[in-house]
Amino acid sequence: MKITLLKSFLLVGALLCFGFAQAQEVSGNVSDVNGPLPGASVVEKGTTNGTQTDFDGNYTITVGDNATLVISYIGYSTTEVAVNGQTSINVTLAEDAQALDEVVIIGYGTTTVKDATGSVAAVTAEDFNGGVISSPEQLIQGKTAGVQITQTSGEPGAGVEFRIRGTNSVRSNNNPLFVVDGIPLAGDDTSAQGQDIGLGTSASKNPLNFLNPSDIQSISVLKDASATAIYGSRGANGVVIITTKSGKGGASGGGFEFSSSLSISTPANDYDLLKRDEFLAGVAQFGGVAADQDFGANVDWQDFVTRTSASQNQNLSYSQNYGKGNIRATFGYGKQFGVVEKSELERITGRLNWTHRFFDDKLSLNLTGSISRINDASPPVSASAGFNGDILGAAYSANPTWPTFVGFDPGGGLLSPANLLAFTQSEANTDRFLGNFSATYNFTPELTGKLTFGYDTSQSTRYSVASADIIGFDNGTPGNGRGAVNDIDVENKLMEATLTYKKEFDNSSLDALVGYSFQDFGRSGRNIGGFGFNTSNLDQMGTDLEDAANSIEGEITGRYQQYGVGANDTDIFVNRLFPEVTTDRIPIVLTDVSAVTGNIFDFTDELQSYFARLNYSLADKYLFTATVRADGSSRFGPDNQYGYFPSGAFAWKMNEEDFIGDSVSTLKLRLGVGITGNQEGLGYGNFVRRTRFGDPSIGNGGEVNVPGTSTVTFANNALKWEETLSYGVGLDFGFNSDRLSGSIDVYRKETSDLLLNIEAAQPSPQPFFFQNLDAIVLNQGVEFALAYDLVQSEDFNMDVSFNVAYNENELQDFGGAIPAGTIRGQGLSLAFSQILSGGRPLFSYFLREFEGFDSNGQPIGDVQTFVGKDALPDYTGGFSLNASYKNWDLATYLAGQFGFYVYNNTKNAFFTAGSIANARNVTPEVLTSGEAGNAAADVSTRFLEKGDFVRLQNATLGYTVPLSGDGSIKSLRLSVTGQNLFLITDYSGLDPEVSSQPGSNDLLNSLPTAGIDYTGFPRPRTITFGLNATF
Amino acid sequence: MKRRQIKFNVLLVFSAIFIISCTNLEIEETDSIIDQTTSTGSIFNGVEDPASSVNNLFDGLRSRYENQENFYAMQEVASDEFLVPTRGTDWGDNGIWRTLHTHNWDPGHLFILRAWNDWNQSIFLASEVIDPRSNSSAEQVAQAKFIRALGTWVIMDAFGQVPIRGVDEGPEINPAVSTAPEAYALVLADLDAAIADLPATQALNQDNLNRASKAAARFLKARVLLNSGVYLGTGDPDSAALNEVVSLVDDIATDGFALQAGYFDLFKQDADTETILWTPSSVGNNIFNGLHYNTQALDGTGGWNGFSTLAEFYDSFEGAPNTNYVGDGQEERRGWVPDASNADEINTGIAYGFFIGQAYDKDGNALKDRPGNPLVFTKEFPGLVGNNERTGVRVIKYHPANGNFTSHKILFRYADAHLMKAEAILRGASGGDATALVNELRGLRDATPLGTVDLPAMLAERGRELYGEMIRRTDMLRFGTFASGYEFMDPDRVGDDSRNLFSIPSNAILSNPNLVQNPGY
Repeated sequence: MKITLLKSFLLVGALLCFGFAQAQEVSGNVSDVNGPLPGASVVEKGTTNGTQTDFDGNYTITVGDNATLVISYIGYSTTEVAVNGQTSINVTLAEDAQALDEVVIIGYGTTTVKDATGSVAAVTAEDFNGGVISSPEQLIQGKTAGVQITQTSGEPGAGVEFRIRGTNSVRSNNNPLFVVDGIPLAGDDTSAQGQDIGLGTSASKNPLNFLNPSDIQSISVLKDASATAIYGSRGANGVVIITTKSGKGGASGGGFEFSSSLSISTPANDYDLLKRDEFLAGVAQFGGVAADQDFGANVDWQDFVTRTSASQNQNLSYSQNYGKGNIRATFGYGKQFGVVEKSELERITGRLNWTHRFFDDKLSLNLTGSISRINDASPPVSASAGFNGDILGAAYSANPTWPTFVGFDPGGGLLSPANLLAFTQSEANTDRFLGNFSATYNFTPELTGKLTFGYDTSQSTRYSVASADIIGFDNGTPGNGRGAVNDIDVENKLMEATLTYKKEFDNSSLDALVGYSFQDFGRSGRNIGGFGFNTSNLDQMGTDLEDAANSIEGEITGRYQQYGVGANDTDIFVNRLFPEVTTDRIPIVLTDVSAVTGNIFDFTDELQSYFARLNYSLADKYLFTATVRADGSSRFGPDNQYGYFPSGAFAWKMNEEDFIGDSVSTLKLRLGVGITGNQEGLGYGNFVRRTRFGDPSIGNGGEVNVPGTSTVTFANNALKWEETLSYGVGLDFGFNSDRLSGSIDVYRKETSDLLLNIEAAQPSPQPFFFQNLDAIVLNQGVEFALAYDLVQSEDFNMDVSFNVAYNENELQDFGGAIPAGTIRGQGLSLAFSQILSGGRPLFSYFLREFEGFDSNGQPIGDVQTFVGKDALPDYTGGFSLNASYKNWDLATYLAGQFGFYVYNNTKNAFFTAGSIANARNVTPEVLTSGEAGNAAADVSTRFLEKGDFVRLQNATLGYTVPLSGDGSIKSLRLSVTGQNLFLITDYSGLDPEVSSQPGSNDLLNSLPTAGIDYTGFPRPRTITFGLNATF
Repeated sequence: MKRRQIKFNVLLVFSAIFIISCTNLEIEETDSIIDQTTSTGSIFNGVEDPASSVNNLFDGLRSRYENQENFYAMQEVASDEFLVPTRGTDWGDNGIWRTLHTHNWDPGHLFILRAWNDWNQSIFLASEVIDPRSNSSAEQVAQAKFIRALGTWVIMDAFGQVPIRGVDEGPEINPAVSTAPEAYALVLADLDAAIADLPATQALNQDNLNRASKAAARFLKARVLLNSGVYLGTGDPDSAALNEVVSLVDDIATDGFALQAGYFDLFKQDADTETILWTPSSVGNNIFNGLHYNTQALDGTGGWNGFSTLAEFYDSFEGAPNTNYVGDGQEERRGWVPDASNADEINTGIAYGFFIGQAYDKDGNALKDRPGNPLVFTKEFPGLVGNNERTGVRVIKYHPANGNFTSHKILFRYADAHLMKAEAILRGASGGDATALVNELRGLRDATPLGTVDLPAMLAERGRELYGEMIRRTDMLRFGTFASGYEFMDPDRVGDDSRNLFSIPSNAILSNPNLVQNPGY
C-alpha cells in the first residue's frame, strides 16, 4: 500500500508531463474470489475521471490510451492496470487486511482514515491487547490518544471507566455511547450491583462483559462532536463503535479457526504487613497486652484471601464466504478466576453473523445474533464497607495470631476473614441476547436504503447472602442469616431506516444520508430481601429466598408494587398502586425464610430520532461534512422534549496540493465544531410528578415496616439533556510514504446545563431532584500521536508508536460547594475528601494539610481546605514497540498516566497507629511514624499521594509455525502474553490506577468518585499461553 | 419489470416506516403513578391516597428518630449531656462530633444539613396531605397538621427561620422565608386545628399511640408555649402562655396519662401510662452508640464505643462518685452497673443508666478493652481527642435485655409534661406548687426531696429525668445556659449566643437565595 502510494506520486508527475493522450473506451468486470464486486471504484490514474461498477461488477470508462486504471474497493488491495490499448480489462481484487485497517466505521456508515473529517480512531483486531480480557474496552486500553480507559479494580468483569477527552459531567456515567454492530446500547447496568447485606455495596459489573472479545473485528472511537453529533443527545461523551467479525474474509469452502489460551494470574502487589511476632511487639509498643492478643496461630491473612489462579478461554469459529454471501459462527467459552478467593467470571457465548445477497446483489440481508451467559461470583469486596472493612480490609487488619477456624469469634465487632469468606456469597447469572437484522437495498447505483431491527434482551439475577454463622455483623445477621435476590430484566428494541445517496461528479463527490431511528429501552425487575433462614447452606439460602418470594407472589392476585412479611407478622402486606393505592393483607405463606420483602420496578424509556449527514468532497482535497440530529426522548420535560444537535467539519488534504513536496505523504488539516448531548444517568420519569411506595426494609430483628406512598419526583417541565459544545483542530501528517506518521489535535469542550440530582430548595417532597445546573464543565487539551517504522526489511520489521494527551478540566460559573468522595473506615464515618466547586477541576481534594505529628504524637492541622490537587490525570500516554523476525513477532505496550493524586483510603482506614493500638494489624512503618496510638486519623494530605505511573500493560511474543498450507491445519500460531508485568510508581498502595466504586445509593450527593483507593481489588499479573489455528 | 416492482415495494416500505413509526414519547404508568397533568405544566393535584401518605409521614418520623446523628446529635451532643470523644481513630468522623460539642460547627456541617432537609421535607409532605385537593379526612388532616407543626417547630427552634413552599410551587420557585415569630404563629394554628380533630386516644392504648392524639398535640403545644420567649425574642413567656401550659398538661392527664414508677421499665415495649407518643424507631443506636465493643448483648451484638456523658452531668445525680454498683447510694435514674455478683444472662453485664467503673460479662468475668487493659469506664477525658477506649461514662436507657433493636422509641412522655407544668408554675402560672410537683416525681424515682426548686434546679431535674430524650439543647436555650460553657466547649464560644441558632446549611442558601445566613457565621 505504501509503495503504491509512492508510485502513484511518481505517476502523477509523469502524467502531468504527458497530459496529451488520446481518448478510448475501456469496459470490463471487477470481481473478487467469490464473484462480482458491485460499487468498486475505477478511476483513471492522476485524474478525477472515474466510475463505479454496477451490480454485476461491470464498468465502462473512457480514458486516454496511455492511461492506467486504478481499481479499488474498501477492504481489498487497490490494483492498477495499464490500459495499453486494451478495450476490455477484467480484474479480480484480492482482500487486503492492511487496507481494512484504513476503514473507519463511523455512525451509520464507513469512511477511510484519509477521508475522515472528524477525530476518529480505529483499532483493529491485530492491534488489540492480548491476554485475559473480560470486556471489550480492555482491548484498546491506551491505544488511542485522549482516551483514558480504567478498569476500576482487578476484579474479573469489574466496571470500566472510559473517558474520551476528559470528564464532561459532574454526575455518574461519563462513559461514551457504545454501538455494537449498529445498535446503540442502553447505558444502564444489566446486572444488579452488590447488595448491602452488612458490608456495604459495590458497583455493578461491566454491562459489556457479554461480548466475547475474540469476536470483535474493530473498535472505532469517535472523539469529537463533528463525528458524534450523528448520535445527538447521546453523543457528548464520545461514541465507541464495536464491529464484530463477519465471514467476509472466510474461505469459499469454509474454514475453522480455533483459539485456546491458558492464563496464570497472581496478585501483582501486596502490602507488607506485620508478621505474628512483630505484631505482638507492636501491640505492646502501643500499650496493649500482647499476651491477651496472642491467639496462638501464625497466619498471613492477605495470603489467605488471595490466590494464584488459572483461567482459560476457548473459541471455535467457522466462517465461509460463498459468493452470494458469507457466514461466520462462533462458540466461545471462558472461565476467569480472580486473584481474591471466590471471584470468578464464566462466559459462554455463541454468535452468528450471516450476510446473503439477493436479486443480483441488489438486496442484501444481514443477520447478527449473539447469545451469552455470564456467571459471576464476587467475594465480599465492597467500596462502601464501614469500619470493619470488607474481606480485603479484614485481611489487612486481622490479627495474625487468629486461627483460620471459620467459627473463630475475634470479638469486639471485628471480622475474621476466614469466617467472612466462608459464610458470605454473591453470585449472579446474566443471559443476554443481542440480535440485529438488516436489509440493504440498492435502488440505483447511487441510492441505497437500509432497514435495521435490533433486539437486545437480558435477564440477570444476583444472589447475595450471609448465613447465620457469620460473626461480627451488627445488622442482626448472626444467628439469623440475611440475603437479597435482585432481578434485572432488560428489553431494548431498535428500528432504524436510512437512505444513502452517493454520487461521483467530475471533480467532486457527494455522500448524503438521512435516517430515522426509534429505540425503546425497557427495564423491569424485582428486589427481594430476606432475613431468618432455615439453612446455612449459601446456595440453598439463595434458592430458598427466591422460592419464598415466588410462593408469596403466587398467592397475590392483581397488580402490586411490593409485599413483605416480618419475622413476627401474622399476615403479608401487599402494597398496590393500581388500579388505586391500597395496602392489602393476605394470609401467611409457609416458606423457609422468616422475613421476606419484595419490591418491583418496571419502566420504559423511548428515544425517537431523525438525522442527516452530508459529505462533500471537492477535488479530493477539500472535504466537508455536516450532520444534524433531532432527538426526542421520553426522559425530558415537555418544554424540551426534542433536542437538535448540529455539527460541521472541514478537512483539507494538503498533501494533494502541488505545493507540498513528495516526501510528505499525508498532510491533512481538520476543523470541526458541533453540539452534542448527554442524557445518561438521568433515568426514567424525572421531569414528571410520580408517586410510589417507599422501599421496604428488614430491621435488625427481622421486623418489616409497611412503607407508605410518597412522591419520588418533583415536576420539572424544563428538564433537558446536558449539552456539550466542542470545537477542535487536527493535523494528520505522514512522511516518506507514511513511514513516519502522526497526528496532533487541539480541542475545547464546554458542557452546560449539567444534569445533577441536586439538593432541592426546601421544603420539597424529596431532598434531591434532577435539575440542569447552571454551570459549565470545561475540558481542553492536546493530543499527539506518532508512529515510525524503524526497520522495514524482508525478515525483520520493527515499528514504534507513541501517543500522549493533555487534558485540563475545570468547573466554571458554579457558586455552590458540594461535598463528594466519601472516605470510609474506622472513625471515618461521614468523612469526605473532595468538593465540587467552581473554578476548580472536578474531583478536587478538600483535606486537612498534614504538618506532621506533635510531641504527643497527635497530627498537626485540623482545618479542611482545598489543597490544589485533583484526581484527574493531566497527561495520559501510551508507547508500543512491535517487532517481527521471520516467524517470530513481539508486541509490547506501555501505558502511563501523570499529574493526578490518589487518596489512599486503605492506609487511612487501616494503617495508622490507632489500628495497632486497637490490636489491628498494620504495615511496619506505622510503628516508627511517631504517631500516638490514641491519635485520630482524620482525612488529610497525609494520605494523599501522587498517582503517576507507567505500566508494562502488555507484552506478547508469538511464533507462527511454518506450514505448507496443504495439510488439514492451514495455519498455527503460538503465543505467550504477559499483562501488567511491571509498574513504576511512587504510590505506596497496591496500584494507583484504581477507583473504588460503591453502589449508586452510597455516593455522597449522587456525585461520582475518582481517585479513591479503598481496599481496591488487587490487580493481577497474568501470563497467558495461547494457541491459534485455522483448518 | 420485476426489478422495478421490487424497487417500488421497498420504497413503499421505507416511506411507510418513516410515517407510521413516529411516537409521542409518552411514558407509561407501569412503575409508579404518574400525575400526567404535571407533564403539561401543572405541579400538584392532590396526593394519590391520603391514608398512605399519612403512613409515610409517620414513617418519616420513625427515620428522623432512628439514629444518633442529625437532630439527635444537635440536641444532645451540642449540650452538657453528651460528648462523642475521638478515641484514637474511632469516632473521628472528620470532626463532625467535635465541632458540635465545641460549638464550632459551620454551614457545611452534614448533620445540620440533613436535619434541615429531613424536617423541611416532612413539612412539605404534610402540606400536601392538608391541601383540599387531596380529599383527606378531617383526622388525616389533623395528623398531617401535627407533623407539620412538629417539623416547623424543629426548624424554628434550630434555625430561627423557616422556608415556606406552597404545594403548587415547582422547583423554579425560591420559597419565601418566615421569621421565628411568624413560624411560631403557624405552629400554634396547626396545633389548635390538630387538637380539635385528633382522636382522644387514652393512655396505655399502645397500638394507637404511635399516631398523634389530642394528648400528643397538647404536649407539643405546651412545649412550644413554654419556649415562646425564645421564639418571640421576649426572653420569658407571658403569663397567658404559662397558664395554658398548665391547662394543657391537665388536659393530657384527663386522658389517663400519669407518672409511673419503675424508671427503666418505661423504656420497654410494654404499655405504660407515661408514653404519649412513640415511633417504631429501632432503639439499637441508643444502646450501642456508647457501649464498648466488648460489652455485648446476649446475641453477641457489641457496642460502638462512642457517646459518653460529661463528668459534671454524671455528678448531678445522687450516689457514690466513681462507681454505680448496686448499693452505691444512687437514685433510681442513675441506674446500676452489674458486677461479678449480679451480672447474668439477662443483663449480660450491661448497665442500666450510667455505666461507670469495671465492666463485667454475663458470667461475671471482668472485661478488658481490645488492647487488653481492664475495661474500667472513667468519668474524665484528656480532651475531645486522644482518648483511649475506656474514658467516659456510658449511658443506657433502652436496655438490650428488652431487645437490642426493639422498634419502640418514646418521643413524648408524661414526666416531661409534668415537669413542664411545674416549670410553668415556677415561672408564674397558677395551678399548684412547683416544688411539690418536682418532689412528686423525685419520690417516685427514689431521689431525696428538694427543699425548694429554683430555675437552675428545674433545669437539672429535667436533665436527670429526660437525659438522652432529644430535648436538652432546647431546654438550655430556655434557661439561658446554652452558651454558658460546659466541659470541652471551645472557650472562645463561651458566652457566644450566636450559636443559639444553627447555621443555615450552605447548600440550602445556594438552592434558595431568600435564606439569609444567621448572624455570626
